[in-house]
Amino acid sequence: MYYIDLAVTGISFGCMYAMMSVGLTLVYGLLRILHVAHAAVFALGAYATVLAANATGSLALGFLAAIIVTPLFGMAIYRLLYEPLLGYRPDVPMIASVGLLVLMQDAFRVVFGEQGVTFRRNAFSFTTFDFYGVTVSAVQIALVVTAAIVFLGLHLFTTRTRIGVGWRATVSKPRIAASFGVDPIKVRYLNFAIGSALAAIAGGLVALLNNLVDPAIGFVVSYKALAIIVLGGLGSVRGTLIASLVLGLVEAYGTIFIGAWLDRDAIAFLALIILLMIRPQGFAGARAA
Amino acid sequence: MLRQRFKSSASGAKALLGFASAVVLLGAITATPALADIKIGFQVPLTGPAATDGKSAQIAGEMAVEDINAAGGVLGQKVQLVTYDDQAKSDQAIFTANKLIGEDGVKLVVNGSYSASGRAAAPVFQKAGVVMISAYGVHPDITRAGDFMFRLVHLGPPQGAATALYVGQTLKLKRISVITMDNDYGQATMDGFVGASSKYGIEVVNKYSYSLKDRQFGSIVASVKRDNADGVYATGYFFTGGPLVAQLRAAGITIPIIGSQAFDSEKFIEIAGPAAEGTYIIDSFDRERKDEALQKFFAGFKQRAGYAPEGVAAITYSAFKLMADGIKRANSTEPKKVRDALAATKDFPLLEGNMNGFNSLHEIIMPIHVNEIKDGKFKPAGEIDDLNAFAPPEK
Amino acid sequence: MSAYTISIVSIIGINVILAVSLNMISGFCGQISLGHGAFFGAGAYAAALAMFATANVPLAVVAGVIAGSLLGIIVGFASLRVRSDFLAVTTIGINFLFVGFVRKQSWLGGEMGISGIPPTGLGAAGNMVMILLMACATVALSLYVSRSWMGFAFRAVGEDEQAATTLGIGAGAYKLAAFGIGTALAGLAGALYTFFTQFITVDAFDFIFSVMLMAMVVIGGIGSTWGVVTAAVGLTLLPEAIRFVNDYRLLVFGGMLVLVIRLAPGGLAGLTRNLFDRVRQA
Repeated sequence: MYYIDLAVTGISFGCMYAMMSVGLTLVYGLLRILHVAHAAVFALGAYATVLAANATGSLALGFLAAIIVTPLFGMAIYRLLYEPLLGYRPDVPMIASVGLLVLMQDAFRVVFGEQGVTFRRNAFSFTTFDFYGVTVSAVQIALVVTAAIVFLGLHLFTTRTRIGVGWRATVSKPRIAASFGVDPIKVRYLNFAIGSALAAIAGGLVALLNNLVDPAIGFVVSYKALAIIVLGGLGSVRGTLIASLVLGLVEAYGTIFIGAWLDRDAIAFLALIILLMIRPQGFAGARAA
Repeated sequence: MLRQRFKSSASGAKALLGFASAVVLLGAITATPALADIKIGFQVPLTGPAATDGKSAQIAGEMAVEDINAAGGVLGQKVQLVTYDDQAKSDQAIFTANKLIGEDGVKLVVNGSYSASGRAAAPVFQKAGVVMISAYGVHPDITRAGDFMFRLVHLGPPQGAATALYVGQTLKLKRISVITMDNDYGQATMDGFVGASSKYGIEVVNKYSYSLKDRQFGSIVASVKRDNADGVYATGYFFTGGPLVAQLRAAGITIPIIGSQAFDSEKFIEIAGPAAEGTYIIDSFDRERKDEALQKFFAGFKQRAGYAPEGVAAITYSAFKLMADGIKRANSTEPKKVRDALAATKDFPLLEGNMNGFNSLHEIIMPIHVNEIKDGKFKPAGEIDDLNAFAPPEK
Repeated sequence: MSAYTISIVSIIGINVILAVSLNMISGFCGQISLGHGAFFGAGAYAAALAMFATANVPLAVVAGVIAGSLLGIIVGFASLRVRSDFLAVTTIGINFLFVGFVRKQSWLGGEMGISGIPPTGLGAAGNMVMILLMACATVALSLYVSRSWMGFAFRAVGEDEQAATTLGIGAGAYKLAAFGIGTALAGLAGALYTFFTQFITVDAFDFIFSVMLMAMVVIGGIGSTWGVVTAAVGLTLLPEAIRFVNDYRLLVFGGMLVLVIRLAPGGLAGLTRNLFDRVRQA
């Protein structure tokens, strides 16, 4: 049972990583920018969820608010920060992105307070189910189910709809896509909008899981997500999904078995470095979205 | 990777100009002239990961100074607060310590910050002959820096030892799983617990640790579940302890949970919700004590901060009150006299209760109060008053 | 000179060494390293251990330099293996690994850090002079390298590795050299930091600090020694000058970073170059 408990932890967290990282990998695929400030989008999603849910008394409205606010924020980051910097070395927008994350983290603190925000009347956070001795919380189930729906939806969107196919084509073969009449600028906005909404959902679910949104909430995923997308072969959605789940599991088991000489954040990066030394091109190697 | 041509941009030049003028302007504002009051330096972490505690400490410090001045000040003079942000970092603590000494001419300081700051600042203040009271820095090094240093909180190891006494003798629990937060406070307190555990017949089943940034403890929770212990002892802050306790309970773990001092916050109850019920918090302050000063502070703080004060706030407030009392008893602001007066403190009323005094190393001697969470409130669950069981180290 | 001024000048000197050395790796040679804090930290810890063992200042400096460059050369080998995109993330990883590892090592003081490190015997002012001398030497070395054949080779590798290879410049050897020199200097800075604080905890070498160093390089103008020196001094002083906005420190810092990069991505060096160009045209 013990190992299954650990697996449940790992898989549910892996699903969260996946929803967080997919936006990051898509931005990289399209623009070659390491969008570190994606963690600020994630945190904004968490804040929007908890604040709207507390104001309206409805969790659904909380998530709705989050997936409305964050795409606007994500697109604004692209328009105001990245677009003017596209002509520079990729590290220039990356540093700007880190600056934005530092700024946003402190802004959250100033605006919403150091103490953090908790959900009012939220039985959902404390609901658990027992399957033959394995404890699974409602939020963990929600994480896995949401991730499944999201990735299935993403798959259908990019293979069955015109916009989606154009998007995928632009990520893998920008010139050819443009010659077929796909507007690359629209694709970029779409990219930021969808990626941000997914990060917001992940943020909202983590908020529920912790029953706490504090200014540090984005930190846990911010830099680790970079490791994930590199492991996933930068730009590959499938690779990112696999890498996220693997990392979730490695952390879940690693915290116990190597936690005595390495902390949890370092475990992720140790896995990254070992894998990079064995497979310098990353996990998947595939470049298609 | 190509280095591209740098775009020429007029707006860029404008930005630089703005940047420069901002620096000049800010420099001008900071250079306001000093007043001839009694200045008390105050180091608090206002930004960075410790800002949560820093904010509470800052509010409490300001309240204390206002209360002192409203009561006519000290020795007929007003007390003036000189506050600097140290981010709870050692190099920032050295900067701000030097600034307090050199620029502000401060002779008396309250360090309302974590150990990393207190440890770095202590030798600097000691060398300059400045009295420092560390409100809640728990590392032993702080008072070892010299005789100008005082501490108003129980050291980490004695706190841990007192916890072992309470767990073993009062709660009568034998097999304990322990969870440490990875910072000096968490580690020092846990060392004290583990060191004293055998004395009270406690067996430490397993040790786990987590980082300050963690809010998710799935792996630890699963392992604790497997340990099948009689109780769990965890060190941490309320923002880690809240989610930890909630997750332990969610996993169906019903054994008693004992938390360390920094769990002490209403926010802990808010985060953990119903799961907080029954959690013991060691060295948590007694909110129900019939004490006018305490009740007044409680109401005032809540009004000002929008949330109830936690232990950090209460101790910081007390640190200023004690400093003012020391000046009064010394009848001077001369640091050496204040130091001697503080060292001679007997039975001073802190917000948390009566302190007996300081030992030779200027460590606080006072009983440790325990709270239990009942019906979403902090309820007294006894005092640990066997002072010898958790005596701090002497000089 | 007040103690406060001495401590500020000391830390400025240390930051100048760090930023200039990072500029050699990332600016001259185009190898983006976001883990400079790890090499800095390795130097600091090595120097601390050396001070406890021998209380000999030159020996502690050597220990710091060796520790920094050893770790640096290991990462340098990694830079040969992974493509440039991955290198930035790998170096971030090195930083987190370093911090995560040291945190758990009781022989390095773990979370508690190492305190009571024996003083150099030079006093605060003496330390400051030593730090400033080292900083000047670092700047001189950087200027010298940038004008030498090695600097040319660095730039060739940084701009176009394949073209450099066709010119007969062995990219691998020069990347390793850049990492070796840059991280040795970071180790030196670490040793000086240890002398300055006599108390080190691993949090001082975290990733956010590495980002701040990279910010100095970018704001100063990637590849420009003088630009980077200016930015290192400015960014160290800035939080001191605006300390009255205590509550908004990181907000202001992050905002500045974003604005400078957004409005003048060429950094200070790019700006001054533009000004000169315009003056000449006028």
